[in-house]
Amino acid sequence: MNVELVLFGAFALLTLLSAGLVIFAKNAISSAMALVATFFFLAGIYVLLWAHTVAVLQVLVYAGAIMVLFLFVIMLLNLGESTATGPRLTLSRIAGGAAAAGLLVVLVVSIWKMPVRAETFTGPQAIASGFGTLAVIGQTIFTKWLLPFEAVSLLLLVAMVGAVVVAKSRI
Amino acid sequence: MDALKQFFMTAPVDPTVFAQSLWLIIALPLLGAFVCGVFGKMLGRANVHLIACAAVAGSFFLSVLAFWSVSHVQGGVPVSTENPFSAGVIRYAISADYGTWFSAGTFRVNYGLMVDHLSGILLLVITGVGFLIHLYSTSYMEHDEAYWRYFAYLNLFVAAMLTLVLADSLVLLFVGWEGVGMASYLLIGFWYSDTAKAWAGRKAFVTNRIGDFAFLIGSFLVVLLVGAFNAQATSGNFAQLGGNTEAAQVRFREGLQQRGPLSFRGLEVMANALPATADAAQGGVSLQSTIAEGPLAGRTFGGVLTVALLLFLLGAAGKSAQFPLYVWLPDAMAGPTPVSALIHAATMVTAGVYLFSRMSFLLVMSPTAMVTIAIIGTFTSLVAALIAFAQDDIKKVLAYSTVSQLGIMFMGVGMGIFWAAVLHLVTHAFFKACLFLGAGSVMHGNADETDIKKLGGVRREMPWTWATFLIATLAITGIVPLSGFFSKDAIFHGVHHNHLHGYEWASNALYYVGLLIAACTAFYMSRLYLLTFEGKRSAEAKVAHAHESSWYMTLPLVVLAVLSVVALVYALPLMPGRNGPQPVMENFLGPVFASAERIAARGKLVELDHSVPTLGNYLVAWLVVVASGAFAAFMYMKFFPSRAGQPAPAFARSARRFAQNKFYVDEAYEFLVIRPVKNVSAILYKLVDTVLIDTVAVRGTAWVTARVGSALRYVQTGDAQAYAAVMALALLGGAVYALIQVLQ
Amino acid sequence: MVPISYYLILAAALFCIGMFGVLIRRNALVVFMCVELMLNAANLTFLAFAKQNGDFTGHVSAFFVIAVAAAEASIGLAIVIAVFRSRGTVNIDEMRTMKH
Repeated sequence: MNVELVLFGAFALLTLLSAGLVIFAKNAISSAMALVATFFFLAGIYVLLWAHTVAVLQVLVYAGAIMVLFLFVIMLLNLGESTATGPRLTLSRIAGGAAAAGLLVVLVVSIWKMPVRAETFTGPQAIASGFGTLAVIGQTIFTKWLLPFEAVSLLLLVAMVGAVVVAKSRI
Repeated sequence: MDALKQFFMTAPVDPTVFAQSLWLIIALPLLGAFVCGVFGKMLGRANVHLIACAAVAGSFFLSVLAFWSVSHVQGGVPVSTENPFSAGVIRYAISADYGTWFSAGTFRVNYGLMVDHLSGILLLVITGVGFLIHLYSTSYMEHDEAYWRYFAYLNLFVAAMLTLVLADSLVLLFVGWEGVGMASYLLIGFWYSDTAKAWAGRKAFVTNRIGDFAFLIGSFLVVLLVGAFNAQATSGNFAQLGGNTEAAQVRFREGLQQRGPLSFRGLEVMANALPATADAAQGGVSLQSTIAEGPLAGRTFGGVLTVALLLFLLGAAGKSAQFPLYVWLPDAMAGPTPVSALIHAATMVTAGVYLFSRMSFLLVMSPTAMVTIAIIGTFTSLVAALIAFAQDDIKKVLAYSTVSQLGIMFMGVGMGIFWAAVLHLVTHAFFKACLFLGAGSVMHGNADETDIKKLGGVRREMPWTWATFLIATLAITGIVPLSGFFSKDAIFHGVHHNHLHGYEWASNALYYVGLLIAACTAFYMSRLYLLTFEGKRSAEAKVAHAHESSWYMTLPLVVLAVLSVVALVYALPLMPGRNGPQPVMENFLGPVFASAERIAARGKLVELDHSVPTLGNYLVAWLVVVASGAFAAFMYMKFFPSRAGQPAPAFARSARRFAQNKFYVDEAYEFLVIRPVKNVSAILYKLVDTVLIDTVAVRGTAWVTARVGSALRYVQTGDAQAYAAVMALALLGGAVYALIQVLQ
Repeated sequence: MVPISYYLILAAALFCIGMFGVLIRRNALVVFMCVELMLNAANLTFLAFAKQNGDFTGHVSAFFVIAVAAAEASIGLAIVIAVFRSRGTVNIDEMRTMKH
């Protein structure tokens, strides 16, 4: 019983709860807020995984920018009211639900059957190599993964233009 | 005299050079057929006549050159061509090989043409008589609208028949065989707008087809036989051929590779190398040894050969109108008369006789097959002669007469007197063509009247026709000194004196039946002649006076009549032979039948006699014929007219009706064969074709596909979530599969 | 020490919850949000393995996933706006133009 385990348990439980809230909430705003909460708790788990940079990026970009965008759109489309009826139970929906449940079972079983590997990467090693720090990640991106980086910047440009074009009422 | 002989033995063109142009003989009529058929209507009547006759005339000219070439002797050495199957050469022959047609494994067929004395004679007959008939047709068909089609078919027929005669392998012969069958069908059903005539053509073709099927199976058996021989033969076999045995076997194998198993040369070498009994074989295979492997394993060479020859007999029976496949020839009279003259008298129906003459060396190895051929020939001949007694249609009488004479030729071939059968083939071509053309002339002059009971007294009104018809009738009945007498008598003499091992009774029996047939021939031919030409004009005649035909029609008649007389020279014993004077034809065809003679002498299964008929034999034959002719004259000129008005006795009337209805053979076939086949076919049509295949298989498949399609349509809901659900399920399936794989 | 498998099971659960939501919810925007959930589950898996192997390629991958998710979210929302403008609803039950 150490701190790490406790923290993990807390964050995991909260993440699952808010994820459940996302899919079962009645109105869209509630789902969006639940999703923001999920992202925050996930960031906490990322920290536990020694991925500080990604955790910060998660909060900055995902929870900060993307969810804001979502909320803007929800409010723009005036979808705040809750819908009275739940999803209609059609055959496809039942099948989909069963598929998801089945997939969960399969994945858990396969993870459980994974051969256990001794954890060779220890904390002191991580600190020494600067694991997960911005400096190291930055260096890697700008040397080894430069091309994907530039491509992603191009992708963001395209996305911007595309979003503007698609959403315009008159081209 | 010597200079004349020298002239005839020196060909104007070098034979080996000429041999390369042999294909032209076939190509000219084929080209004529194409031009007349495609452009005939545009070209007009005169041009079509010119092209058709010129094509056949050109062929005739080349045939004369070919005939001259194979008689060519230079410095005492006769013209010869290389034998691809043995070290020796084939004398008095020229040949040309134009490459491979197709090959599959060890089986190969080449375009090979060959002329020897046998095919040389037939070439002259086909092209010569063919040309005369083309000339005749220009006048006979002058009122017909479809003249271009007629001449195209006629040229096509000549081309196919020439292919048959020039072929040097069984397969190419079969091509010609089928070709003449097709041309015959087209020409019999020429006036196809009349259903009965069209059905006559159909009957001819279907009956021929049955024979063709037997021919094919026979050829397949021969291929297997040659293969077995090649596999099992040892040097002892090839020692029979003389010379170096090793080289002979190698050469034979080489020949098989280059020319295929169905080349006549190869079959001849195999026949020479296959003795009759094991002790004569010196360790090799003989007719009595069994075949070791393959589909024929366990059967003897002799047995397989006999079966193959019997199948060829069935094929020849179809083509040459013998029992049981003769029923098409009388019906074939529905075609124009020149067609009957050319195809059903002179050339196509002789294809069976030609086939057996070509394969004489195989025939003499099987006495069973030979006696069967002879018996079939005799039986057919007698039955046809009896039917001809009671026919009133002039063309039908001549048709049955053709069947009867072909039976005599088959009798000759069956008993091994090959040269006489070929001689009778040639003389029969002349006088039967003359008879048919004469009948056509009579019909033409009497407003197409064919019933001889309604003719009579034509002699005074159509003198040229009368004279030639009389000469031809005398020739066919066998009155001295016309050619028919000699050729027929040569056959009967040969039948009497040749012996087949195991069937010695056949020689005498068939000889006496042959004399009976000669008597019958004289009777019905005299009846035909007398009722048509002599006596008073019948009261029921369509026209009061007949008019003579134009020179286009009478000239061929005269030429053929002259030939009927002159051909007797070939039967006279003028040439020096082994045992004294030999008939010209026998000497002439000596090189062709040399293998057969040698095999017969060696094997002792067939004893071939070479004696010449004595004066006594001639006298007997002549008396039989004259008596029968006189009897016919008495009956029809004196007896029946004197009893006009008195009813004939009952049995005579019923016998006459029986004969007139062709002994009800057609009806029997209808009942025994055609009706069951039609019933089976109807069942197959209604049950298998309409229900099983059409409704269940074809429409059923379409119906099922349409149903499944309309059922599956409901999957396309347009609901993206449903599609996503399907994808999720698939993903789940994949994950489970991967998990199971890993866990194993 | 928390064993890596715990993180992986958490990621699997998040993924399945997200998939469940995609297949069940009718509101297009909520479906989108569930897709984002699935992406985050993938991110978590990347980072868990990165920790196990000591290789921060997983971090780089997560970085790129976030960037791409941003681009995708913007375009997807623009499409939702355009669809709403022409149909007046974001209820995916009522968008059946793919129906045969």
